[in-house]
Amino acid sequence: MEKKKSSPWSFLSNGYLILVLLFIYLPIAYVVVFSFNEGKSMTKFSGFSLRWYENMFSDRTMLDSIKYTVLVAVIATLVSTVMGTIAAIGLSKARPLVRTAIIETNNLPVMNPDIVTAIGMMLLFIVAGVRLSLTTLILSHITFCTPYVILTIMPKLRQLDDNVAEAALDLGANPWQALVKVILPQIYPAILSGALIAFSMSFDDFVISFFTAGVGINNISMYVYSMKRYNPSVNALSTLIVIVVTLILILVNVIPYIKDKKTLKEETRR
Amino acid sequence: MKKAILILLVLCLLPLPLIAGAEQVLNVYNWGEYIDKQVITNFEKEYGVRVNYSVYDSNETMYTKLMSGASYDVIIPSDYMIERLIKEGLLQPIDKSVVTNLDCLCDGVLNMEYDPDNTYSVPYLWQTVGIVYDTTRISPEEMEEQGFSAFLNSDYKGHVYMYDSERDAFMIALKALGYSANTSDMDELNAAYEWLRNMDKAVRPSYVTDEVIDAMANGEKWMALVYSGDAAYILSENEDMGYCTPKEGTNVAVDAMVIPANASNPALANLFINYILEYDNSLMISTEVGYASSNARVLAELSGEGGDYEGNDAYLPRSGYALDEIYHDIPEELRSRYSSMWIKVKLHE
Repeated sequence: MEKKKSSPWSFLSNGYLILVLLFIYLPIAYVVVFSFNEGKSMTKFSGFSLRWYENMFSDRTMLDSIKYTVLVAVIATLVSTVMGTIAAIGLSKARPLVRTAIIETNNLPVMNPDIVTAIGMMLLFIVAGVRLSLTTLILSHITFCTPYVILTIMPKLRQLDDNVAEAALDLGANPWQALVKVILPQIYPAILSGALIAFSMSFDDFVISFFTAGVGINNISMYVYSMKRYNPSVNALSTLIVIVVTLILILVNVIPYIKDKKTLKEETRR
Repeated sequence: MKKAILILLVLCLLPLPLIAGAEQVLNVYNWGEYIDKQVITNFEKEYGVRVNYSVYDSNETMYTKLMSGASYDVIIPSDYMIERLIKEGLLQPIDKSVVTNLDCLCDGVLNMEYDPDNTYSVPYLWQTVGIVYDTTRISPEEMEEQGFSAFLNSDYKGHVYMYDSERDAFMIALKALGYSANTSDMDELNAAYEWLRNMDKAVRPSYVTDEVIDAMANGEKWMALVYSGDAAYILSENEDMGYCTPKEGTNVAVDAMVIPANASNPALANLFINYILEYDNSLMISTEVGYASSNARVLAELSGEGGDYEGNDAYLPRSGYALDEIYHDIPEELRSRYSSMWIKVKLHE
């Protein structure tokens, strides 16, 4: 009886789910398919070829843009994750008034449109007499990534039981050990997701990069945006990025699973 | 943890070797996808230098970047932007003792109004604005006969692409009415505005930008306003397509190489400009990009017998036609007038 009642609804909800998934993944599939197109058209598939991959790997400006994007994203992620984690832990121990004030300050750049941050950064560098370069680009990326890291780690810290860290101290751990061996392992998933958000924010940023990058430095977004005419090598590049991101996601999900299994086995052996 | 910090510090130092380097560096700033990259590699090998190549998507973007104090050695803006840069004293003269290949330039691009003696600028590629049309729908005679007024022909309703650029849209209206594309006379502009509203009513065009290139190559509509450089590509993909440079006169656009006043290596910049002008290099660039070369021999070679663009009506821009005009830099208030009127046209108001 119950089954009969729910079946038309489940059909609808499944249909809805499929529609949503199609909407998300069809454009990506389209990009991937056309990266193998023989012709230059973005709408007519004229045959399979690896021409655009070849073209991409022989295009130095494009390769440079990939190199700069990855370099900036990696450094910005590392620095902003470390800074954000330290800031979040410090904040969680601060007086409530100070904490609220600083968290609100931290939210401002997150809510602020990128263009305001971008122009502000550029003007600051100009006024300070700093010549725009790779360093200014990295500095601005660290600046706009850090608030996101703090924002992702704070809720997790609030869930922590303060007594656990205190117990560690009572049992003879020094503050550093308590931090590294007790607090950090507990908030590790939040740090990881903060780092992933920072990485993806930095990876596809256009506006801030455009205004703060020095002469001769393009990241992928800037390069693609500047094309006077469409070039399917962009599809090839996007396909590679999709593959790398998929691999990372698989690794991030599979490694803990394997680890869990191992520890489970060891425990049962004992 | 300590290890992590160490790794971090090492990573922070990584960019340093990228910035440093003893060899001479030339900073080139060009439109995206607007060169054959091999030419740059060859230049580097021949002169033992490194070219730092970056790209922009519009003259205005480039101008903003220049205003932020960035120092480039060679930039390739369009005519009206060069006019503004000269006016504001942001360029330095070309060293004609180094740039000796100027005599290879074709007449169509030499001594243009924005820089009468080519003191500051050396033409790179050029083009006209015209109409790509499906010859199986509209005969060439019909098209030539109508010119820009084809955009008022309600027989083509629903089969027209209009390029979504206010300056170009007003240019065709002004030209169709027999005015100058650079007018600042409000009556003439209002007449052009009425013309565009009539166009919107008569043919109900789709307002598009670069997607028009692919769409016309697939023959999706009967006619479209396009730049000749893009038209050359469309014609080479779809043999049913024809190109018409309207009889009322049109816009001729020249992109030219200039050296900013704050360039850090002007000597090398002059060498680079001269190198680009050489026959082989101009040939590579024009073949790759599809826009008309500024080099007279390259133009003849590519459009002539056996050339890549033989029989392609769009490749070779019309030159020496009295009604054709280049754009001048227009004042800010006029620019915002253009934009507000153009938005009204598109909203069918």
